[in-house]
Amino acid sequence: MIFSLLDELLIFSAATVLVALVLGRGLAVGWMVTILYAGQLLVLIKMAALGYGGDPIASELSLSVMGQDLSWRFDALSWFFALITLVAALLTSWFSCGEWERKFKQQGGNVWLFHLAMALNVFTMLILLASGDLLSLFIGWELVSWAGFLLMAVAGGVATKAAMRYITYAVVGGMSIFGGIALVYAAAGSLQYEAILIAVEKMSTGQLWMLVLLFGSGFGIKMGLLPFHLWQAAAYAETPGPGSAFLGAISSRMGLFAILLVLVKLFGIVNIDSLKIPFTLIDARDLLAWIAVFTIIFPTYTALKQNDARYLLAWHGIGQGGYMLLGLVTANSLGAAGGLLHVLNYAACQAALLMAVFAVMHRTGTADLNKLGGLVTRMPLSFLVLLTGIIGLAGLPPMNGFVSKWLVYRSLLEDGMPLLFLGTIIGTLGTILSVYKLIHNMFLGQLRVEHEPVREAPWSMMIPMLILAGTIFVTGLLPGIPLTWVTAALQTIGLTGPEITLGGIESSSGSLDMIWVIGVLFAGFGIGAVIFYSAGPSKRVHQLDNYAGGHFLTADVRYQYSDNFYSGLMHLIKGWYRGSFQWLENSITSLVEFLSLGMQGIYRRANSEFYLLSTALFIIAWVVF
Amino acid sequence: MNNLVLTIALPLLGAFLLPVVMRLSQALGLWLGPIILGYGCWLLGNLWFSDISLPLSVAIGGFDAPYGINLYLDSLALLFAFAVQLLGLICWPYGLNQDTARRQALMLLLVAASTGLALSGDLFNLYVFYELAAVATFGLVVASSTSAAYAATFRYLILSGIGSVLTLLGIALIYSQTGTLNLAHLAQLAPELLNNRLGLTAYLLILIGIGVKAELFPVNAWVPEIYATASSRLSGFLAGLLSKLALLIILRLLVLIFDQPEAVQIVLILGILGVISGEFAAWRAKDMRRMLGFSSIGQLGIIFIALSLPDERGLLALLALSLHHLVIKTGLFMLADGWGGSLERLTGAAKRSPVGAALFTLFALSLVGVPPLPGFWAKFTLITELAAQSEPLYLIGLLVFLLATVIETSYLFRIVVKLYSSAETTSEQPEHQQLPGLSLATASLFGIALLTATVLIAPIGDGLQAVAAEAKNTELYIQTVIPATPGGQL
Repeated sequence: MIFSLLDELLIFSAATVLVALVLGRGLAVGWMVTILYAGQLLVLIKMAALGYGGDPIASELSLSVMGQDLSWRFDALSWFFALITLVAALLTSWFSCGEWERKFKQQGGNVWLFHLAMALNVFTMLILLASGDLLSLFIGWELVSWAGFLLMAVAGGVATKAAMRYITYAVVGGMSIFGGIALVYAAAGSLQYEAILIAVEKMSTGQLWMLVLLFGSGFGIKMGLLPFHLWQAAAYAETPGPGSAFLGAISSRMGLFAILLVLVKLFGIVNIDSLKIPFTLIDARDLLAWIAVFTIIFPTYTALKQNDARYLLAWHGIGQGGYMLLGLVTANSLGAAGGLLHVLNYAACQAALLMAVFAVMHRTGTADLNKLGGLVTRMPLSFLVLLTGIIGLAGLPPMNGFVSKWLVYRSLLEDGMPLLFLGTIIGTLGTILSVYKLIHNMFLGQLRVEHEPVREAPWSMMIPMLILAGTIFVTGLLPGIPLTWVTAALQTIGLTGPEITLGGIESSSGSLDMIWVIGVLFAGFGIGAVIFYSAGPSKRVHQLDNYAGGHFLTADVRYQYSDNFYSGLMHLIKGWYRGSFQWLENSITSLVEFLSLGMQGIYRRANSEFYLLSTALFIIAWVVF
Repeated sequence: MNNLVLTIALPLLGAFLLPVVMRLSQALGLWLGPIILGYGCWLLGNLWFSDISLPLSVAIGGFDAPYGINLYLDSLALLFAFAVQLLGLICWPYGLNQDTARRQALMLLLVAASTGLALSGDLFNLYVFYELAAVATFGLVVASSTSAAYAATFRYLILSGIGSVLTLLGIALIYSQTGTLNLAHLAQLAPELLNNRLGLTAYLLILIGIGVKAELFPVNAWVPEIYATASSRLSGFLAGLLSKLALLIILRLLVLIFDQPEAVQIVLILGILGVISGEFAAWRAKDMRRMLGFSSIGQLGIIFIALSLPDERGLLALLALSLHHLVIKTGLFMLADGWGGSLERLTGAAKRSPVGAALFTLFALSLVGVPPLPGFWAKFTLITELAAQSEPLYLIGLLVFLLATVIETSYLFRIVVKLYSSAETTSEQPEHQQLPGLSLATASLFGIALLTATVLIAPIGDGLQAVAAEAKNTELYIQTVIPATPGGQL
């Protein structure tokens, strides 16, 4: 049997799990696992032809269980997602090596379990991405869910509670998909994609709606789409540092991958007009688009309220997923490319941001935004990484987030969807406000006394962070490189991408060339610098040089403007935070509790069987005679 | 082929001899039971691999069916008979005193009756063995001699007694209509004589009567209390196997005699109610054994839903779910041996017995249906089959099943999390209950079986498919038992 490249990749990945399992208690396991991730990445790079429109690579392994054929293969879409997954795994695992690991162990963490959970997550994600039919997709899906549960629960305590909440949501989603699969199987008689494509054409509108809802909500739960988003922030934020960065970067995108594969490719949701909601003007596609927009807005403004840097970023992660979905459901070439490109761009930004936050946490022991400040003098490189990240996340040039968001905005305007566009603008405003809060409360302002001895993060953390920051800039400068992969990936799900140039896209209605944009931007910086340096001598001001509100404070009174940040704004919008989703979740829990009590009551009643059997007896006697 | 009778006769004989033998020689008494059961396993295992063509019918006492009594052995019966002997051996109450001698005798009686239930080819014998099993169960539950056990047993006794009366009434009705109790003969006569309201009434009576043991809603009120008070090994046997044997009887009745839509529908409805009541009740249970009991009600409900499915794949789902539940529930009850009682005490128990905690997690994962564990394939077969039905009631069944899985995950993994959480209350409760070595070893056995099945899922699936096809073949059943007549007329 000759192994294909995909088999090599999966075997490599399985070997990583095995190494983490068996040697995980030994020395330097972190480095060992990191090197193995690099090996996996190399195998993936050997498959790079996929990213440029090469033929799918099939696995030699195929099974037939109880009449079901299972197969696995990689195409451009899988390759694109796998690339992000493996780079994220490599860098976050690198981040965890050395000092972080030692500190984690000191605090009573289980390093073995952590590395094992990470390796399992990567392995299961690759299995999911490689799925060649609906059944193997579901198997991969469930495996990813449970591997995620393991990683989230590693930290214990609060994290376990969050993980429990996650797994409950995830199982609801899983069962929703499972039900959908049963219905598909009943209609198509098979779970192979080809058979389903044929069956979909014959389905009635009702059937199609049912399936779209079942699969959509199932996959949407993992993406944290409204109204299923409540689990995500805590679950991601409480995961141990590198794990959190990894999950934040890629985990919930698995939901997007599945949506693309099932809803877009199989059900062709973006091309079907027949899925109209009765008595309204919107169809299934609009519904998804609006869900996406609300997913952008609500979680982003919830993020604005957070006082824990990890939670702030995790809430953002939910919101950013909305942009991706929004771009993809507009389904014109610009929007689709923008949405998919945002997966990569966002992953790079989020990983960099979370790593920077965890680097600060590593040194200061806290991620509480009210207890930090002024760290720019102590951790300048981390500051730089965080700055790069927030510019990218907010979608401003010269970072990569600008490109993907520009594409999404552009497609909304071109398709004539001004309301959706307005929604995204409101969302972006929230993003800019909250990432400013993040960088201000951590790095700007005055250094706290207790943080005087803080040093820059160790190099084992710094190098992966800098690599990510570099990626954010380079993919912003030369978006043509990832856009080529994106176009190839879009083709596999039946969408077309735009014309690509190295610096952006070529379009009749307006091109984008980031090399020019950034050139102009830097020229502007240059002019500014010329003015600055030609304006004569400048005075250097010390960080503790206070002059606030017309009052002179001495340097020993530290002035921190971080508590109750944005109090004016919050005063204006606080009425909008109603916690309706939380209320909904609580009422469902209460309902289950109530039913549960009732059912126990049935079994506790001592004589219930008497009543029941005697009535049964009477009825039967009545029937007989 | 008369060896087959030995699998029933030997344990029966052993049950009566054991107390005597125990007095004569303790060593012999200690080994008598296991030897009998081991021999039974060997005998049935041999049959499986021998080249004897199944199914076959064994006439007892030289009279051919339908006038004489016969044992019917197809792959399904063989599978369950083997499971009975094996599980009897695994759940054997080891020990060396007069008290355990009594228990061992009762256990042998239970095994004999259960094997009889799996093999009998006529209704009357099924009834006799059913009663025998019930009597043995009462004795075994009471053997733990706590007041709670007495109370639970009394309740069970009453419920079971009423159930027996109803079953007998149903059988009498059938006899009054057809004049025979041989299943094959009944299968021939049923389309003419029992396809009416009276037949349906008889069926309902038997269903409710036998349903007591099969944990059928609503005659399952005994379940939580009995499982909470009986020894874990016994609970494992009862929940794992005896319930399935009662189910097997209902299956035979449905396939052979009462092939009517109403008969199937009532099973479906009761199954759905069982799932809802059992799973919801388990969600709030504060005690490990009660939780397992409620969860068992829910699982049996799912199995009843599978039972109501009309075709072969439905039967495949039923078999897969039953065998899976057998392995998982028995394994879980073994763990409850040390972890019974309040769930609160389990906090941090994984530190004390990591293997036990790992097994619990494994069982929970499979019970929830996480691929690629066998539970997933069983559930997959069930839901695809449910979705394929045109009756809307089946879709409700599907919905309830999916909902139940979510609830199941919630309560099972609350325990898993508890097991692995670091014990903060160690100062308060220094002693966790330790898992007894024997139970842990037994549970490990089930864990290994589960993992083996995961790897060998493809051949196992094919095997079960063949078993299901054979069991669904009414014509074959009639031909095997009454070969002289071409099916249809006597």
